[in-house]
Amino acid sequence: MKSVIQIKGVRKSFGKNEVLKGVSLDVKTGEVVVILGPSGSGKTTLLRCVNFLENADDGELTIGELSVRFRYAGKKDILTVRRRTAMVFQNYNLFSNKTAAENVMEGLVTARKVPAAEARERAERELAKVGLGGKRDAYPSQLSGGQQQRVAIARAVALNPEVILFDEPTSALDPELVGEVLAVMRAVAREGITMVVVTHEMSFAHDIANHVVFMDDGLVVEEGAPKEIFFHPKEERTKQFLDRIQLKYDYSI
Amino acid sequence: MGKLFDAALVLEYAPPIFLRFHVTLAIVAASVVGGTLLGLLLTAAQLHRTPGLSLAAAGYISFVRGTPVIIQMFIVYYGLPLALYRVGININRWNKLYFVLIAYALNNAAFMAEIIRSAVLSVPKGQSEAAWSVGLSGFQAFRRIVLPQAFLTALPALGTRLVNTFHDTSLAFTLGILDMLGQAQAIGVRTYHVLEGYVFAALVFVAVSLLLEKGFTRAEAAFGRGVKK
Repeated sequence: MKSVIQIKGVRKSFGKNEVLKGVSLDVKTGEVVVILGPSGSGKTTLLRCVNFLENADDGELTIGELSVRFRYAGKKDILTVRRRTAMVFQNYNLFSNKTAAENVMEGLVTARKVPAAEARERAERELAKVGLGGKRDAYPSQLSGGQQQRVAIARAVALNPEVILFDEPTSALDPELVGEVLAVMRAVAREGITMVVVTHEMSFAHDIANHVVFMDDGLVVEEGAPKEIFFHPKEERTKQFLDRIQLKYDYSI
Repeated sequence: MGKLFDAALVLEYAPPIFLRFHVTLAIVAASVVGGTLLGLLLTAAQLHRTPGLSLAAAGYISFVRGTPVIIQMFIVYYGLPLALYRVGININRWNKLYFVLIAYALNNAAFMAEIIRSAVLSVPKGQSEAAWSVGLSGFQAFRRIVLPQAFLTALPALGTRLVNTFHDTSLAFTLGILDMLGQAQAIGVRTYHVLEGYVFAALVFVAVSLLLEKGFTRAEAAFGRGVKK
């Protein structure tokens, strides 16, 4: 299968703290890649390096026919990469001065020069798909966390990107709102859109992922099919992590 | 000489005093337009952290905010011709009002820069990141996402600043500018009725300040529809 995105040897330090110590990742078309790992393992930083929200110190990114060394990426390369990817943030980051529909339209109209009428049509279609057709004129402050995150997903999908990066999309949500967002993400995955997801939702990872990457301490410890990683992990570190996480499901209160 | 305070004279002096209102407005306009443009430049210099420039901007702002506007006005009035004469430009015959306009624009720039800078910094980083992530360029993200939100945050401070600027114009008469206060003073000298002119000027200041405040409250409500954070 064809690769959508390949990253090789990404390194990133914040001051003396080396967060990524040479991480490589290969994402194939239509794949859902889930990145797991304890906090501080560099998952989020890795995702943010991919669309240059962080400037990686070293490494290489290939997206389609475009290949860039992170360190030498110019403004134009960065813009190109950003226009081929989309991101869903932990804190939604909807534009607070724009309505739900305008949030979805912004990237289409301003960045991709799609005519406004066409963009509005697409925005309304995407909002309807995430179950928010009736909220198109609502401002973010008038929406719940779950609704905001669904708008953010619609905003990402509408751009028709080659890959959508999800940075812990359910971590800031009330537990009872997590379900609606995961349901929308499942629908997106079923459409065959390539996704890279950083998450702590194990059952989601188990159900949806084609490929699971386990990271710890700035390195990829182990990666493979979900069944392999969840049921037959090879590395001791992976076992420890999964045991600790899955304990939650064994206990009932 | 009659009464010390004659209410009828307040009305009689009103027209000549109010006829000078446009001078006050001109000073306010120069402050707002010149101050905003210069203020944006100062903000850009500071936020971009260009080594020399940001230091110069910070120094300028702290000098302006640390000295009374009347001193700045005198420095511009006496200093600018001297400085320009050195480079061969003679502005000794300029209308005094021009110096006042320049001084007030320079003064207001520092205050505007502080207002704009803090408002821009108050917009969460995530807003810019989201804008970049949907493919907006740095300038587009600033223009379409950050600036509108910053403007909303800055509105109350801008309103206060505008009222302050308006009040500050009353110092221009010390250079002999014939604005409302200059006229009131002139009438006082001529007729020995000093108080009446000043009372009328005070009324105008109060009325305009109230109007400005009301206007800004309305603007805040209009621009802030649904956008409360």
